Amino acid sequence: MSETLTARNDTPDGGSEEAVVGEAGETRVRERRAETPAEESLVQEGDVAGDYLERLLDLVDYDGDIDLDVDGGRAVVSVDGGEDLERLVGSRGAVLEALQELTRLAVQQVTGSRSRLMLDVAQWRADRRNELSELGSSTAEQVHRSGESMRLQPMTPFERKIVHDAVAEVEGVHSESEGEEPRRRVVVSAE
Amino acid sequence: MSMLADALEHLVRGIVDHPDDVRVQLVTNRRGRTLEVHVNPEDLGKVIGRGGRTATALRTVMSGVGGRGVRVDVVDTDR
Repeated sequence: MSETLTARNDTPDGGSEEAVVGEAGETRVRERRAETPAEESLVQEGDVAGDYLERLLDLVDYDGDIDLDVDGGRAVVSVDGGEDLERLVGSRGAVLEALQELTRLAVQQVTGSRSRLMLDVAQWRADRRNELSELGSSTAEQVHRSGESMRLQPMTPFERKIVHDAVAEVEGVHSESEGEEPRRRVVVSAE
Repeated sequence: MSMLADALEHLVRGIVDHPDDVRVQLVTNRRGRTLEVHVNPEDLGKVIGRGGRTATALRTVMSGVGGRGVRVDVVDTDR
């Protein structure tokens, strides 16, 4: 068994934690089992994160299902459900980024090592990924036609990565980031 | 309103070494409403974070779940 619920004993909430674990099977979809020690620790990250978020949803009384996965060498936790969840995304994903940060810290508190866990809420990252990918492609094509560089608005590292990937698909142009966080932005130029 | 305090208390308990020492109190005065976060002195650094990053994240999440206009203050305890 890959379930690593024993780690739960170290977590803060003591008694109430048991109940959360008891419900876990009903609300969570476990996509896969760990096959390597590295993957097992990612599954554990997902479990700890799932408990942390599930309790938060309970306390603020939002409906949400928590889905745990391991993808690209990191734990991925997705929360989907009612409209309330938009509040956990916030303007331009600001609340989502903050909640991801806290969730990573909660995981680190239990596992003792830094987490690169990715949190998505209400498919926000997935939707944003599509939007940004289209922005990257259309900007690249425009630069390719005009030969003039274009600077995009400041973005988070997550957002810039998606734009860079989309630009890289178009021949004759390249992209780089310039400026300092949080004003760092992508610049697309003709080659 | 105690929902906000409970939610914040949970968020903080999950990221500290001494979760039992975490207390969140809603204080109302003429400057408005403030959620005061009390933690073990050893955990202050964790709750504030590098450059105030963690405290900022806590504030951002609380503003998302309905605490807009409510201050979040991390307070040193004397125990």
